[in-house]
Amino acid sequence: MPAALRRLNLVRLAPLLWLGPAIALIGVVVLWPVVVMVQSSFQQIGGEGFVAGYNGTKNYAHLFNEPDFVSVLLRTLVWVVVVVAVTVFISLGLAQLFHQQFPGRRVARWALIVPWAASVMMTALIFKWALDPNVGVINVILHHLGVVKQLGSNRADWLGNPTSALAWMMGVAIFVSLPFTTYAILSGLQGIPRDVYEAASIDGATSWKSYLGVTLPLLRPAILVATLINVINVFNSFPIIWEMTRGGPGYETATSTIYMVELKQGDVGQSASMSVINFLLVIVIVLVYLSTTRWKEQVDQ
Amino acid sequence: MITTTKPAPRVAARAGTAPRARRPLRTWLVAGAAYLIAVIFLLPYLEMLVMAGRPNNELGRATIFPSHFTFSNFTTLWSGGGLGGSIGTSLQIAAGATVIVLLVALPAAYCTARHRFRGRTAFLLLVLTTQMFQPAAMLVGIQREFINFGLPPTLSLIIVNAGFNLAFAVWILNAFFSSIPVELEEASMVDGLGRVGALTRITLPLAAPGIVTALIFTFISAWNEFLVALTLSLGESPTQQPLTVAINNYIGQYSVDWGHLFAAGLVATVPVIILFAFIERRVVSGLTAGAVK
Amino acid sequence: MNKKYPRRLSGAALAAAAALALAACSSGSGSSSGGGSGTTTLKLVVADYGTGPGNASSKYWDGIVTAFQSAHPDIKVNVTSIAWTNFDQQVQTMIQNKQYPDITEGDYFSNYAQDGLLYSASDVLSNPGNLLPGFKNQGTFNGTQYGMPFTTSSRTLFYNKKLFTQAGISSAPQTWADVQADAAKIKALGDVGFGLPLGAEEAQAESLLWMLGAGGGYTTDGKYTINSPANLEAFTFLKGLVAAGDTEPNPGTVNRTDLWQQFAQGKVGMINGSPALIPIIQKAGVLQSSDWTSVPIAGKSGPLTVTLGVCDNVAAFKPNGHQAQIKEFLDFAYQDKYQLQFDKEYDLLPATTSATKALSSDPVFAPFLTALPNSVQYPSDTSWANIKTKIQQTIGTAVTGSPATELGQLQQIASASAS
Repeated sequence: MPAALRRLNLVRLAPLLWLGPAIALIGVVVLWPVVVMVQSSFQQIGGEGFVAGYNGTKNYAHLFNEPDFVSVLLRTLVWVVVVVAVTVFISLGLAQLFHQQFPGRRVARWALIVPWAASVMMTALIFKWALDPNVGVINVILHHLGVVKQLGSNRADWLGNPTSALAWMMGVAIFVSLPFTTYAILSGLQGIPRDVYEAASIDGATSWKSYLGVTLPLLRPAILVATLINVINVFNSFPIIWEMTRGGPGYETATSTIYMVELKQGDVGQSASMSVINFLLVIVIVLVYLSTTRWKEQVDQ
Repeated sequence: MITTTKPAPRVAARAGTAPRARRPLRTWLVAGAAYLIAVIFLLPYLEMLVMAGRPNNELGRATIFPSHFTFSNFTTLWSGGGLGGSIGTSLQIAAGATVIVLLVALPAAYCTARHRFRGRTAFLLLVLTTQMFQPAAMLVGIQREFINFGLPPTLSLIIVNAGFNLAFAVWILNAFFSSIPVELEEASMVDGLGRVGALTRITLPLAAPGIVTALIFTFISAWNEFLVALTLSLGESPTQQPLTVAINNYIGQYSVDWGHLFAAGLVATVPVIILFAFIERRVVSGLTAGAVK
Repeated sequence: MNKKYPRRLSGAALAAAAALALAACSSGSGSSSGGGSGTTTLKLVVADYGTGPGNASSKYWDGIVTAFQSAHPDIKVNVTSIAWTNFDQQVQTMIQNKQYPDITEGDYFSNYAQDGLLYSASDVLSNPGNLLPGFKNQGTFNGTQYGMPFTTSSRTLFYNKKLFTQAGISSAPQTWADVQADAAKIKALGDVGFGLPLGAEEAQAESLLWMLGAGGGYTTDGKYTINSPANLEAFTFLKGLVAAGDTEPNPGTVNRTDLWQQFAQGKVGMINGSPALIPIIQKAGVLQSSDWTSVPIAGKSGPLTVTLGVCDNVAAFKPNGHQAQIKEFLDFAYQDKYQLQFDKEYDLLPATTSATKALSSDPVFAPFLTALPNSVQYPSDTSWANIKTKIQQTIGTAVTGSPATELGQLQQIASASAS
């Protein structure tokens, strides 16, 4: 039967049957919104969602003229770079640690994934409450330690001051990104054969040198993928900032995603143009990163 | 049990005495550090547990532990004004998205794994790149597109979540199907099973771990999704909104009843954590597949 | 490797999920206004005035709805109640999603009227003349009234007499200088001198009170003058107050709801409040009625003679086409007994002339009622929606950054959209 069917050209189309629903779903849900988004960014759409007509590039001009636009973009870049870099750095160490053999390793590893499984929003809320100036548990502990002299004071209001708020939120973002990154690097470590290390130590390399010279390069693919996925997730990170400060005060802790959502309330067209810029920014960052790490060697199957 | 010359820059070997005594000491130091870190990772969620048991009248007190543990926050979850109804809605959305993803991804992944057809690379590339698309980034597009469809919000959310998790499912299922030798299927067909029989009796069971992984990953991802749910489900009454949205709306009412909120959070989070424990290893290998090996 | 277990798990999960998905589809369609068997369902979206689950606004409305539904068996009403800090954004998103409510009670924007989304007051009320005439203007667009006042209130200055005595202050604050001096003394006690909520929940109200104190306001002669010299003066004063630590830290991130709770706990010296603060104080049980009192709001050189008259509106939406049913419901809900019930529950003021008359002999409410006709209100043009959002989000930075820059930016937005 298969041989006969193969001669018919219909067989060429058979994959379409199998792939069709998948392509359709991806097309409708993932690809088409990009088109709608770009289209909307050129239309005049008020806060009620009614399209009033074509608006040319006015939405973009309006957006670039917003007083907070530049600071939001800069802050977003800082946010992404710091969170991803620190996450990868800490994860390298954590992975190394959890790669060792020790009793109870499975349980300890399991604890690592908890922040990943728990919703980011819930984690953000826990920290928001814990940083409450009057009753939050972090402040209470710091108060006992003498770091925070008085509950309810400015020192205890971590989330009210943009700088300390950003620092804490970055901490939370790093915290929720650590599990995946650590596991990615762990699986990379597990793929490195033992004899590589033995060869290195025979050559007289110290453990630090062999880490830098042997382990890290072999970990490159894992680090690459982990960083990429982290960049994309962190860039679009919404729940943390939304729940902890709503981007406030003003827009001083807002990243581009938060800004886009805030804009949507008053002007959907402008919000769409912010989305497009956001989108392009991610693509640019990813491309830049890929080009600097010569990805093609790694991913070729 | 053999900790030989593995490089471990984080934990320098202490200047031990005899080589025999050095090993256990170092192992215990490593273990200690690991346990400490594990506790740190669990701390926020333990705090959530502590808060969920805090009586209402102690919310304003600046103490670390409540005076006693109470279950009242849990029991009020399903009464009026509780968040329990939303748990049901979240369940519908997550389960619906999971079903759709499985129904769509299985045939696609199987076909891709078994046949080398024209456009296969293009399809795989499509799948790979869409993994990078996040719903939050395309919020405006999604909202405007789905308004025109006029579907009930729960159904829209099912479709959106299915769409965004499809790529990962296809990717991981493709890897699993590829690793199952074709000879097994062909051998069973020779034995008299039809093609369908070979599929269901041989291939699917062998790919079961991958299927379960894709299933649970999609479920958790849809369960925790926030921004699109927030945007699309606002027109519904609170029990028709998914849990993430209901919790968000709960904040900002009066002064927040954190105890009740964290009780709901616990009910929402703990099962998910347990589910995730089953699949974590494969998720990572699935996400990094093709790059690491 | 246990092969059977995951398979059964997958199978069971698939079956369960399929069932749930089907259930989702069927229940999802039933929630909208299904008019199949002659019953119409009205979607009522209300703001939450409650201070806790015990007196949540949904309870008040559920009472009316139950009574209404038994009197009108062919009309069903679904109530959704939203916290104030989310209200505008969520109603706006609902409208963007074309998930139109039938009736909203809370804030209302003339943009909706401009887009043709609303019924006029005379379309859905039998006696629109009963609505307080003083608030007719701010609900009017193009000469027709669309926003129907539902409840009103006026603002006064509340202060903690106990803290004042402890700090050695003998008289109520009347001028800004008083406020500053008193706040500093209370700060020395370790409490918050003046509670200044400039967070996104209601920053526009608090800001207006201070602007009025300097003789300014959002508009002058119908045009927006957000960065007028008087307003700048007000915010420069506030900036000094914040810098000296006489207020709570980072006012731009603090909402009225939280500060009112703190006042009720006895931790704040002075705060601008409305009668709705009274039940919060009583519920907290920390302050006795002799420990606090309310006086006119302090202005730059003396107490304010005008106050901020806040009015929350009902708006009736056209797209679902339920005009007749909406009219039945609103006529029912606006009865005096329900107005009075709402006012007594939340210590707010009525919005109809008849209810006001019924309440005028009540000693608690009388003084606030007499101040109402003389009140200043928010602007009511179609650009207010956008400006209000920006004010809520950003005006807090005017007291930590530069008032001239922040108010200037707001004025820019106002001029651009009002043109």
